[in-house]
Amino acid sequence: MSLVAEAFVSQIAAAEPWPENATLYQQLKGEQILVSDNAASLAVQAFLQMCNLPIKVVCRANAEYMSPSGKVPFIHVGNQVVSELGPIVQFVKAKGHSLSDGLDEVQKAEMKAYMELVNNMLLTAELYLQWCDEATVGEVLEDVDQCCQALSQRLGTQPYFFNKQPTELDALVFGHLYTILTTQLTNDELSEKVKNYSNLLAFCRRIEQHYFEDRGKGSSSIKSS
Amino acid sequence: MAAPLELSCWGGGWGLPSVHSESLVVMAYAKFSGAPLKVNVIDKTWRGSRGDVPILTTEDNIVSQPAKILNFLRKQKYNADYELSAKQGADTLAYIALIEEKLLPAVLHTFWVESDNYFSVTKPWFASRIPFPLSLILPGRISKGALNRILLTRGEPPLYHLREVEAQIYRDAKECLNLLSNRLGTSQFFFGDTPSTLDAYVFGFLAPLYKVRFPKVQLQEHLKQLSNLCRFCDDILNSYFRLSLGVDHFLLKVNHRYLLSPC
Repeated sequence: MSLVAEAFVSQIAAAEPWPENATLYQQLKGEQILVSDNAASLAVQAFLQMCNLPIKVVCRANAEYMSPSGKVPFIHVGNQVVSELGPIVQFVKAKGHSLSDGLDEVQKAEMKAYMELVNNMLLTAELYLQWCDEATVGEVLEDVDQCCQALSQRLGTQPYFFNKQPTELDALVFGHLYTILTTQLTNDELSEKVKNYSNLLAFCRRIEQHYFEDRGKGSSSIKSS
Repeated sequence: MAAPLELSCWGGGWGLPSVHSESLVVMAYAKFSGAPLKVNVIDKTWRGSRGDVPILTTEDNIVSQPAKILNFLRKQKYNADYELSAKQGADTLAYIALIEEKLLPAVLHTFWVESDNYFSVTKPWFASRIPFPLSLILPGRISKGALNRILLTRGEPPLYHLREVEAQIYRDAKECLNLLSNRLGTSQFFFGDTPSTLDAYVFGFLAPLYKVRFPKVQLQEHLKQLSNLCRFCDDILNSYFRLSLGVDHFLLKVNHRYLLSPC
């Protein structure tokens, strides 16, 4: 979006409160949705739940084509459409809701850095899961392990990355890790890597229980092993 | 540790030991970790491939890419991250990801894509260190590679307008610089009093942007407003690279006297 368009959207966004009928569109579950798109959709859902903003999830086979930017997931709020986690976080902020306002400047910098790390490493892993390029499997597994180790270190024994309150980083990490853990595949090497880190498993379960099951949105649970 | 470590990399200018970010990252890390590097600056006579530079050669190994070279040096016990906690190590990975995703595209654009900068500064500088006829081809190839990388990592559809991508990448880069400045605060280095891998990366990406004189300077102007980042670069240059720059200063002084004295 150009700077002018972004400012315009922010103004309009600020004008109206969050409606009851806000909707999130993604592709159909099961066969159609790509692993990376599933992670992105989960991240957005988790984020909105954490902000206490109601959202209805609608699966459409042509979701990509419905999105004006071609990107999924997208949310339809009032008469506006916004796609991808970054712009959605901005949009929600313009409406007066934020998870990261309580963070100081250094913490905000850290949060953004860790979000890039997740995008960098876990996204690559998910693309691998989809396209199964045998040649790069070793490198991908190493990257995932390194990323999980970093996330596990950063999380420590805290419930969320910035202690008691979840932020968009928690939503993003959840979206990706949960997807890797629950996607049925012939090869479980990737999910095994994540399972090595017990605090990350506990983190995913905590978010699943608190933000998804409690609100009556059952979906495939994390298998304990 | 007995075998000599040789680093082949792009040379310096504008007060820097190298104008090439990736070469600078490795040179800085070597200084921080005490690795004794013999630096071979690429000039017209260099026979190797220039695409992979910086390259580290030892008796039995050839290593390319900064991350791999740093890993290699660590395995040889030249470890600048020795005193970091596990969390600080994790933070290092995260900040490097941030720099590569949010800052690098704009740095590439400033050097290799922005026409005024590329044609008046970057291309002549590199071409003068590449033998003919490669000097006619290679800079253009690097420039196209930079543009492709920018378009690719932005993940936009191929028809997306370049001007809008440009606006976005500069906005991201400015935000990244602000974040780095906030994180550094008044500390000397990113993790306490001694420099580590993250300092090498930040220095490598910032110093060329700070020092090279370009016609189109928007990102540079923004960086210059973040005085702690400028101080960070100057401190490293003065503390770790002064001796090697001493020769350049001497030559400048000699020339100056020469010009002033009567013929």
